[in-house]
Amino acid sequence: MLSIKDLHASINGKEILKGLSLEMGAGEVHAIMGPNGSGKSTLSKVLAGREEYEVTSGTVTYKGENLLDMSPEERAHQGIFMAFQYPVELPGVNNTYFMQASLNAIRKARGEPELNSLNFMKLVRTKLKALEMNEALLKRSVNTGFSGGEMKRNEILQMTLLEPSLAILDETDSGLDIDALKMVSMGVNSLRSPERSMLVITHYQRLLDYIQPDYVHVLSGGRIIRSGDKSLALELEEKGYGWLQQEAAA
Amino acid sequence: MSAALLDHYQTLAATAPKAHVYQAVGQQRLSLVELPNRKQEAWRYTPLAPVLDYQFAAASREDGLLVPEDVAALRVTPTDHVCIVLLNGFFMPELSTLPVQAGLEVLDLAQAIQTSAAGIERLGSLSGECLHLFGAVNAALTGAGVYLRVTEKLTQPVELLHINYSFDSEVLSNPRVLVQVEANANLTLLEQHAQFADVLGMHNGVTEIFLSEGAELIHPRLQNDSLRTRHLSSLHVQQAASSVYKGTTLALGSAWSRTEFHLDFSGGHAHCELNGFYLAGDQQMQSMHLDVLHSVPDCSSREAFKGILYGQGKAVFDGNILVKKDAQKTDARLSNDNLLLSRDSEIDTKPRLEIYADDVQCSHGTTVGQIDPEMLFYLRARGIPKAAATSMICQGFAAELIAHCDYPALETKALSILQERLAPVAANL
Repeated sequence: MLSIKDLHASINGKEILKGLSLEMGAGEVHAIMGPNGSGKSTLSKVLAGREEYEVTSGTVTYKGENLLDMSPEERAHQGIFMAFQYPVELPGVNNTYFMQASLNAIRKARGEPELNSLNFMKLVRTKLKALEMNEALLKRSVNTGFSGGEMKRNEILQMTLLEPSLAILDETDSGLDIDALKMVSMGVNSLRSPERSMLVITHYQRLLDYIQPDYVHVLSGGRIIRSGDKSLALELEEKGYGWLQQEAAA
Repeated sequence: MSAALLDHYQTLAATAPKAHVYQAVGQQRLSLVELPNRKQEAWRYTPLAPVLDYQFAAASREDGLLVPEDVAALRVTPTDHVCIVLLNGFFMPELSTLPVQAGLEVLDLAQAIQTSAAGIERLGSLSGECLHLFGAVNAALTGAGVYLRVTEKLTQPVELLHINYSFDSEVLSNPRVLVQVEANANLTLLEQHAQFADVLGMHNGVTEIFLSEGAELIHPRLQNDSLRTRHLSSLHVQQAASSVYKGTTLALGSAWSRTEFHLDFSGGHAHCELNGFYLAGDQQMQSMHLDVLHSVPDCSSREAFKGILYGQGKAVFDGNILVKKDAQKTDARLSNDNLLLSRDSEIDTKPRLEIYADDVQCSHGTTVGQIDPEMLFYLRARGIPKAAATSMICQGFAAELIAHCDYPALETKALSILQERLAPVAANL
C-alpha cells in the first residue's frame, strides 16, 4: 500500500524528517507516536501533499506509484484521506455542498457517475446517524464556529463518505473529550477492512485503547527509532519517550 | 474641457422635453455645480475620465423597443408580483406589472408632480444637498420617473427593474425614483439593474427614500449592467423614529460604477443596515461611497462591505460615519473586507468615523487579503481541483454578504453571475 524509504523533508530550509522509512501493507493499522517536534505532523502533511514542505531525498510509493509526483487533489482521487489536526474553517461554504463537491470530484476523477443532491443527502444522513452527529452541522458553513469535537466528527464524517484506501489521522484525538473520542474511534473502526490501511498519528496512548493498531512506531528527531506491536504503546505510556530517545542516541 | 461639458449638459437641459416642473430645478442647479474632480475628498480615488470625457446624448423614451417576454426573462419575482420597469430611465407602465392591492401606489413621477400627489413635495429635498454635476443632470433631464408610496404592511415583494438598452451608442439614462413608506408600513423592494444587451452609455440614477415612524424597507439591489457601461447610483435615505432600513447592494457589472449612499436619521431608535458587495475585474472600476449621518440620539447602523478583485480590477471604498454632538448612544459598526486575486488589482479603502458625541459605541475595520493557502489546501486534500477550490473560497466569501438579500432567487442569480465570472479567473491563477 505505502512504502516510505529514507524520507528527508524540510520547511523553510529546516530539515524535519531525517531519513524516515515505513512499510504499510493493505488492511494494516499503523500508529505513529512521538514527542512534540518529532516530525509527526510534517509526515502527515508531506503525505497529503502540502507544497510548503520540500522533500529533499527519499521516496514515497503508494500503490506502486510515486506519490510525491501527485498534486493534493490527485492523492485524494487515488484514495488518500487526511483527517486534519486543525480542520480549516470555510466561511460561507455550505458543509453539505462542500462534501458533495468533494465526493463528486473524486468519483469524477475515477470515472464513476456523480451523485445528485438527493442521493447524496440520503448517503450523508446514514453516515451522520452512525456518528451520532447533529444534522444542523450540515447546514452550517464548513467548520465555521464548530467546537473542537464537532470539527473532528466532521472530519470523520468526510472520511466515512469518501471511503479512502489510506486514511491518515493526524492527532485526531487532540482536544477531544472521552465521549467524542469513542465516537471518532467507532467511525474509524467501522472503516477497517482488508483493503484499507490507516496511519494513526497520536501523541497519547489513549486513542489506541479504542483503535487497536497492528504496529506501533516511535518517531523521534525525524526518524522512526523503534517499531513494535501495540504493547509498545503501553510501554511508552508507562515509561515516556525518554528511555527510547536515550537508547537511540547511544 | 469642463466648460464645454457644462455647456453640453446645459444645452441638453434647455432642449429636453419638459415632462414636469422639477426639471427646472435641475436646470437651475446646473448653472451652480462644479465638475467632480480628484481634489475633492469624495472623488479622490475615482477615475473620472470615463464619465467626464464624453458628451453623452440624453436617452429618449423608446416605446415598443421591448416586449413583456423580455422583461419576464429578467425578473427574479414571480410574474404575478408587482414589477416596475424603467427602460433607459423612463417608467414603462405597459411593460410593468402594476399593483391592484391596497396599500401600494405606483405613479408616474411626472403625473404625480402634475397632480400634486400626497408626499410628492418631498422630491429633491434629500438629493438637493448633493450638488454634484450628475445629480443636477439627473434632475434636469429626468422624464417619467416613478413614485412609490406604501401605506400598509405589504407581504409580497415589489420588483424595480432597470433596463438600459439603446441603439444609439453613448446615451445617458436619468431614472428618478421616489419612495415613501408611511408610518408602520413596510416593503421589500428588489431592485435590479439587468443586463439586456451589451450596451455603452451611462446610467445616472437618483433614488430618494423616506421612511416614516416605524416604517421598514428591505432593499436588495443587484447591479449587473453591461460591462461596457458606466453606472452611477445615488441613494438618499431619511429615517424617522423607530424605522428600519436594510439595503444590500451587489455591484457586479459596469465598466465604471459608483454607488453613493446618503443616510440620515431624523428620529431616535431607528436602525439601518447597509451591506455591499463588489466585483471588479479587468477594465472595471467599482466604487462605494457611504455617508451615514447620526445626528439624533439612540440610533444604530451596521455597514458591511466586501469586494473581490481580479486581473486589473480597481475598487474604491469610501465609508464615512459622522456622529454629531447630540447623537448620544449611537451604535455604529463599519467593516470592509477585500479579497485580491491578482497582483495588478487595486483597492483604495478609506473607512472613516468622525465622532463628536461622547457616549457612543462605534467601530470600523478593514482587511485586504489573498486566498488563504490553508483553505485551498483543505479543499484540494478533499479532491477538489485547485481552480474549483479557488472559486469555492471566493463564492463563500461573497455568499456571506449576498445572504443579506434575504431573497433566494436574487441571491442565486447573483451567485451564478459570480460563478460565471470567476470560473475562468480561478482556472488561470
